[in-house]
Formats: sequence, structure tokens, C-alpha cells
Amino acid sequence: MRTVEELIELANTHLGTALAATDAEAELTELAEWDSVHLLRLVALLEQELGRPVAVDAVLRARSLRDIWAVAVGT
Amino acid sequence: MAITLGPAADERTAETFARPVRVSGPEGPWERVREAVERHGSVIVHARLAQWLPDDLEDPRLRPLLGPDHARFRKMTHPQVRARFVASRLLLKHVACAVIEAAPETVELAYKPGGRPYLRGLDQIDISLSHTEDLLLVGLTRRGWIGVDAEAKDRPMLGLGTENQVCTPYERRTLAQIAEERRNAALVRLWTLKEAYSKAIGQGMRFRFTEFGFSPQDRNVQVLRPDGAPGTGAEWAFHTCLIDRAYTVSVALFDAGFGDTDDTAAATMLDAGLIAALVDGTGEGDRGE
Repeated sequence: MRTVEELIELANTHLGTALAATDAEAELTELAEWDSVHLLRLVALLEQELGRPVAVDAVLRARSLRDIWAVAVGT
Repeated sequence: MAITLGPAADERTAETFARPVRVSGPEGPWERVREAVERHGSVIVHARLAQWLPDDLEDPRLRPLLGPDHARFRKMTHPQVRARFVASRLLLKHVACAVIEAAPETVELAYKPGGRPYLRGLDQIDISLSHTEDLLLVGLTRRGWIGVDAEAKDRPMLGLGTENQVCTPYERRTLAQIAEERRNAALVRLWTLKEAYSKAIGQGMRFRFTEFGFSPQDRNVQVLRPDGAPGTGAEWAFHTCLIDRAYTVSVALFDAGFGDTDDTAAATMLDAGLIAALVDGTGEGDRGE
């Protein structure tokens, strides 16, 4: 997974969301269709995609999709 | 293994929680809300977003109603997020003000680090807020701490990899013993209980959901350690019910031993420092007494 856009595509494909690339920087609390169930499902998807555990504690502190992506790819 | 998602199943739970009250708009029924608090010390209120959404989100009267939240609201851009924000805050404020018998403009909603809402100056009342789809849910207690959570009862959660992020080993074992057609609903119930408990203790999801659990039974519910051993005592009470046959709603309540305060009018619920500041207008209060 090289870009946050790929993370957004992953979410849209598996979570049924309709997130746009421009949502990458938005506060998660201001994404209309985003909630805590989505967050944990995304963690599971990322672990499956990356083939390794993702730091859930850090993901839970993330404020945006870009933050989540950064945690997932370890930047 | 039976799972009860209906009304309270045992006397202790039935005594702790009143049946959730539907509040279809600013007209109430507030007497039922006050009765619930008077008899049980707590109340759960539910409503639909459209019932609490002002016709005009640019109405200047929203500024005093939302208080400091108005600045945050103004920065929001997504119409659905703005609508949900306004409607949920109006509902929460009206519930609180019905209980303390004050005007919504006089109560300030504030947030602790981590986002937990509280009513500034009303230190004997605890509140919790949840929403899912167009359902709004408010919990209020004068007994201690409260957390509420709602989720669509048939929201797909099972088999999507979330069990490992959500469940303790004990919960995974007990879920596997539940009939397949009821297993997803049982997981949704566990999820809402965990969310409600996390909100009540002010941790949100920072307290890993795999570090504490619940039993699939809705009788004498208590927090369990990952291996299924008891984790909390009688000071905590939990309850799950269905609202409109569509939403699983859970409540977590910590009884801090505040006792049965019959008088919840504003003058007695406001903390002394705030009352002094309001009376002398200096913001400092009378520190000489």
C-alpha cells in the first residue's frame, strides 16, 4: 500500500463507504459515514492487506485517514 | 444459549434502569424523563434526527443554544455531519435542562480530554451521547457515571475480521456456542456493551476491547476479564434493549454512591463555585467564606 488513496479504495471496496480522496485529511469525526465499527474493520483489512499486525493503539489515536495510513505503513 | 435483548430480565436490573423514553421533539414528554430520573436516578432518551433538526441551520438562535459548540459547528462542512451534530446537542441539552429545570441556553456542554461530554458546573449529573443512522441516544444519571451506545441490530460484524479486534478469548469461545443465526446479533450486543462501558469510564476505544469482555447472557451482566473471570462488582450495572425493533442499545452505569438526590433543580445541582461566580459576576466567587 503506497498511498492513502489506496487505503481509501480499500475502505470503499470492503466497508461500503463512499469516501473521496479529498477526505484523506478530514477529521474522522467529520466524515458522515465513518464510525468506530468502520475503524476496527479497517484495521483488520489493513492487517490482511499488509500481512502483518497494525499498531491498533496508534490507529485509535489517528484523527484522519492519512494518519491511519501513516500508522499502517509505518511512516 | 439464550440471549435476551428485550426488557430487563432481573429485578436488580429492572430497578436500576427505566424503560427508554422516546422524545419526539422539544415538546417532550419531559415529565416522563423527570419521573425516570426521580425513580431510578438515570434516564435513557431516544429520538430521530429529523425530530431535532432545526429548519434553518443558519438561524442565529442556534448560537446561544449551542454555546461554545457553535464555533465547532460553523467549521463543519458536510451537511449530514452538521445535522447530526446540531440535533444531538439540542437533544442532549434539552434532556439535561428538563431534569435540572433550567433553560437550554443556560447550560454549557463541554468536553474532557478524549472527547467525553459533560455539563459544565453540573458536577452531580453525568451524560453520554450516541448516534447511529438517524437514531439519537442520550443517557443521563445523577448516580455516578453513565455510558450509552446504539447500533443497528443487524449490522454485519461477524466474520469480517473484527472479532479479533473486539472480543476476548472467552467471548470468542462463547460466541462460537451461539446458534449461527443469532451470533451476529450477539456480537453487536457485545460491541455496544463495550462501547457503553468505555464511554462511562471515559476511555473511548483507548481501552482495548480485547482486554475486557461480557457474557453473552443479559442477566446480571458484569465486566469480565479476558479469561471470563469477574472483573467488576455490584457498583456497575449494565443493560441492553432493542429500540424500534431495529437498534441494539446498551447502557453502562457506575453507581458512585451519590445517593438518591431527589432535588435535581439547577440551584442544587450546580457546583458551589459556579453559583458564587454567577451571583457575584466576577467569575471568582466569594472565597472569603
